[in-house]
Amino acid sequence: MGLESYLLVGAVLFVSGVVCMATKRNGIGLLMGVELVLNGANVNFVAFSRFTSLGLDGQIVSLFVIVLAAAEAAVALSIALNFYNNHLTIDVDRGDELKG
Amino acid sequence: MDYQTTGETIKTLLTLAWLLPLLGFAVEIFAGYWQRDRLSKAAAQMAVGCIGLGFLFSSWALMTYVQATGWNERYEHESAHHKELVAAIEEGKPLPGHGHHEEGHGDGHHDDAHHEHEEGHHEEKHHDGEHKAEESEKQTAITPKDAALAQFAIADPIAAEKPDSEHAEHAEHGHEEHGHDHEEDAEAKHEGPAVFSGVYYRLAKFGDLEINIEYYIDTLTLVMFTMVTFIATCIHIFAMGYMSDELTDEYVDHEAHYANGKHVHRPGRFYKFFAFLSLFCFSMLGLVIAGNIFQVFVFWELVGVCSYFLIGFYVERKSASTAANKAFIMNRVGDFGFLIGLMAIWTTFGTFKFAEPDLAHADKPAGLFQMIRTPGGELDVDEEAGVVYLQDGHGGRLKNDEGLPASMPYWLLVVAGLGVFGGCIGKSAQFPLQTWLPDAMEGPTPVSALVHSATMVAAGVYLAGRFYPMFTPEVLLVIAYVGAITLFVAATIAMVVTDLKQVLAYSTISQLGYMMLGLGIFGWAAGLFHLVTHAFFKSLLFLCSGSVIAACHHEQEMPKMGGLIRKLPITGSAMLVGVIAIAGLSVPGVSFGVIGYILLILGLLFALFDIYKRERTKLPLVATLVVVGLMLSYTGLANAKAAFSGFHSKDAIVATALTYFKMNPAHLLLFILPLITAGLTAFYMFRLWFYTFLGKPRDEHLYDHCHESPLVMTGPLVALSVLAAICAVGGEGGKLFVMLSESAPAMTHAVMAGVGSTVSLNLPGHIDVLTNHSSAGNLATIAAVTGTLIAFVIYGLGLINPADIKSSLKGVHSYLSHKWYFDELYDTMFMKPAHIVARFCAAIDKYVFDAFLHWLSRATLWISKWDRLFDEKFVDGLVNLLGAATFRVGGSFRKLQTGQLRQYVMFIAVAVVTLSVVLFVWFPH
Amino acid sequence: MTYEKLLFLIFALSTCGGALGVVLAQRVARMAFWLIVSLGSTAGLYFMLHADFVAATQIIIYVGGTLVLLIFGIMLTASGPHVNIQTSPGELVLGAGVGLMLLFLIQGTVRSVDWNQAAVVTSQGEFVPAEGQGYNPQGQGNTIRPLGMALLGLRPDKDLGAPEEAGLSSGYLFPFEIVSIHLLVVLVGASYLARAKRRAQASE
Repeated sequence: MGLESYLLVGAVLFVSGVVCMATKRNGIGLLMGVELVLNGANVNFVAFSRFTSLGLDGQIVSLFVIVLAAAEAAVALSIALNFYNNHLTIDVDRGDELKG
Repeated sequence: MDYQTTGETIKTLLTLAWLLPLLGFAVEIFAGYWQRDRLSKAAAQMAVGCIGLGFLFSSWALMTYVQATGWNERYEHESAHHKELVAAIEEGKPLPGHGHHEEGHGDGHHDDAHHEHEEGHHEEKHHDGEHKAEESEKQTAITPKDAALAQFAIADPIAAEKPDSEHAEHAEHGHEEHGHDHEEDAEAKHEGPAVFSGVYYRLAKFGDLEINIEYYIDTLTLVMFTMVTFIATCIHIFAMGYMSDELTDEYVDHEAHYANGKHVHRPGRFYKFFAFLSLFCFSMLGLVIAGNIFQVFVFWELVGVCSYFLIGFYVERKSASTAANKAFIMNRVGDFGFLIGLMAIWTTFGTFKFAEPDLAHADKPAGLFQMIRTPGGELDVDEEAGVVYLQDGHGGRLKNDEGLPASMPYWLLVVAGLGVFGGCIGKSAQFPLQTWLPDAMEGPTPVSALVHSATMVAAGVYLAGRFYPMFTPEVLLVIAYVGAITLFVAATIAMVVTDLKQVLAYSTISQLGYMMLGLGIFGWAAGLFHLVTHAFFKSLLFLCSGSVIAACHHEQEMPKMGGLIRKLPITGSAMLVGVIAIAGLSVPGVSFGVIGYILLILGLLFALFDIYKRERTKLPLVATLVVVGLMLSYTGLANAKAAFSGFHSKDAIVATALTYFKMNPAHLLLFILPLITAGLTAFYMFRLWFYTFLGKPRDEHLYDHCHESPLVMTGPLVALSVLAAICAVGGEGGKLFVMLSESAPAMTHAVMAGVGSTVSLNLPGHIDVLTNHSSAGNLATIAAVTGTLIAFVIYGLGLINPADIKSSLKGVHSYLSHKWYFDELYDTMFMKPAHIVARFCAAIDKYVFDAFLHWLSRATLWISKWDRLFDEKFVDGLVNLLGAATFRVGGSFRKLQTGQLRQYVMFIAVAVVTLSVVLFVWFPH
Repeated sequence: MTYEKLLFLIFALSTCGGALGVVLAQRVARMAFWLIVSLGSTAGLYFMLHADFVAATQIIIYVGGTLVLLIFGIMLTASGPHVNIQTSPGELVLGAGVGLMLLFLIQGTVRSVDWNQAAVVTSQGEFVPAEGQGYNPQGQGNTIRPLGMALLGLRPDKDLGAPEEAGLSSGYLFPFEIVSIHLLVVLVGASYLARAKRRAQASE
């Protein structure tokens, strides 16, 4: 299978992640959208690694992305916990104290 | 000692004497400032030490001069010569116009004597004549002896116009005769009059023009040094006693008040007084030793500023500070002339140096005097062109850069002379500028004594004497008239003032007028002779008055005194000596020895009277009489004429004046005024003494409380009275006069007839003066005795009530007691116009400049008001509008910020899509 | 249809299906399940791309780590049963529309690029086509060793071939260290944030 097939998969993952972020009211769901977006990007990196002169660098970058995603997840989770403690809900629509 | 060593020694000694007071000043002013209390007399001791050492050094220098130059022999000769001349004149009774054969006799007689002298001293004293010839550039080139000889030979004033062939022959003869001796003995002992000059330090050099600190030492310098330091020493010692009430931490000045009417309390200023005295002495000595006219000017101003400090010593008193200002400002007026003279000299001659005595040995440029006068003392005038040719000092004319004879306009020389004399007028309180001096009495009495005798006012006369060769006959005439007017005006005022010190102040002005007159009528030595004698008796008189004032608790009005001789015997006697000296009294035909015997007999009588009464009340009087009588009878004084110093010096001036009048009948005033004033002087001085010391006490309280001053004050009085009495012994044959006339400029030795380009004058010579001496002396003595008798009748015996005279001569009296309305005149002439101009300027300031400025400021205010409106309405409005708009836009954008996280994500997505679509639509490639 | 193609289709479909499942699922727990499916299938895709180490990391970290964290989060923040935090249907429709437009945009962009022309130019100036320049593990063995060396700063996969021509390629030692520190800081920060509430209470 060629590069474009993988890119299509990556695009689907990305768009799903964006839509997920845009629609989910649950904070955890929002996080999952972020994971999907990152994963879409990773698919692209690895595909470029395989099919273009990017070479091994693509895999290394995807490894970094995975690691950072894990870190992000940890921090985001603690934020979500704090949010929950403060608002007694995980509904992100309630966190609009900074609205203009 | 040769010339070089002598010069060095004398220079060193005089420099020490000069600088010691400066050291004293520095130490006193700083130590005094830092000392803890005001009770220490250390400053006074320091000052006395410095000036006393200065006196010792000065005397030492004088002695060195006398020793090294063989002066004693010259004096002996000079004195003998003088006696011969006098004898010849008395014997032959020569009168102008028909004394030819007598003069011929005298001529031959003297010529012999002269040759004898020359030969007698030739072998041992080497190149007397040679030295003179060689040093003919110097002012002292032709000794008085030669000049007098020449004069004698041609005493007829008409003959004086012709060149003195006999004198010239004689000089040549002497030269040839002794020329080889000089060559054989190059290291010859220096004999004969000598002048020493040199440079201490070069201050600045502009091309060929130099400004140096120099010294110029001749006998005038030496005599002045000795006189100044001696008198200053006496005054310092006196001041230790007089100023002792300043030795306190809180001095109450009873004559100065605060605004609330209380007396001024201030710390005592004992140390300050002595510091300024020291500085004063330093300045005066610097002026005397100065070797160029610029240096004279510097010290001239220093003297002025010191007098300013000291006259204004009681600065809290309004009168004192005003008097100090007046003295200073009046002097500035004179100094303006001085500066003009300096400028004229500087531009014309390019040097300030007086003279270069070493001209023959060293290749040095000539000094001022050598440039302006030929070695014979004449001006090289080109009458037609109106120029004066400058001399090179070697007998030729000075060449300028183009090789032509250098010259200066005659009028410029007159201007320079008048300018410098203007300075002398201010400093010596001469006629138009005399009013500062009486006011200067506000200073403490020792200051008055110093200012009026040895320092400040002497400076003017000294400078006029020192600068003599620069004065053209016209200038000399001006000097003579200024002096004559001054002496008369001041004497008339002195007759009516009642303040003790004021009388003395006016008498000082009057005597200074005598000196100026003496200088102006060609009696150079006579004028300076009077300067020295006057310094002694005037300082004596002032110190006596200080003693009286201190005794009377600072009462200065004579009408409140009277009969003080019983309370103040020492002061009174000393003052009597001074009064006799200044009045010029003498006993004709009697010598001091006779007076001495009379005193001894008197003493004996008093002693017998005491013994008879079996008491000792007259013991001090007897002792004094015996001591004085012995001194007079059995010392060198015994054969001298019985007259005090003032008689001799005033006599010399009056005699010169008489001669001058005879030779220039147009100038009658120059003889009449001094003659009348001699009488007036005697009158007002005895008036002072009788008023103060004789008669009944007019103020019992004052009389009861006054007491004789302590030894520290009476000691100087005694010392000064001795010198005031005998310093001029011998008159014109005496040591002082001979010493002074050694320094006389060469021009004074020659009769100058018909000189001057604008006025025709006959200037008298020594012999002419001598021929008139006895008649002038008799006239002056008659005048003085008359004055004395009138004073005695009015004030001593009280036969005539002064009030009656006053009321009968009311107009004259009020005119005189207003001091000839000089102050009022100056007030009208200078002050009022100055005030009017000042008011006019103030009005211009107020109504033109201020008005313009006010208008300007109002305009600025108006403009700024509008500017403010513009700023507030327009500029601020614009900015506010902008701000408000931004605020509104921001407010509307604010609604976008919903705070909804998910909406933001949606925005991003929509924005990305929209942007891409837009990009693809607009930029397909 | 080769096995390779078949496997790709399976993995691709399950990946995309999982993603859509995450979007469409209404409950958080189910979303987590679909996410596992999606991420796991992605790992399969990595294997097919010869990126064996990345695939393993994907499974271990994502599926085994991150997702466990997320599930912890779900459990800790579970709302009451009656609390409705569902999305409104309008929003869903809007999101779907925007998502589709985004997808078309990306796909259009991908299609518009000629990937074969994304070439490289060697240091000698030779033009080399992009196709076939990728990393070829079949010729060079598995990726663990080169990846490890790259993270230690060595690039044998690039430098061994022509050392004198290429010079030394850049390794990833420094980013590796940064990431290490970063992780440490993140963990500390996370634990701090998680504790903040209790401390605030204690202080009250």
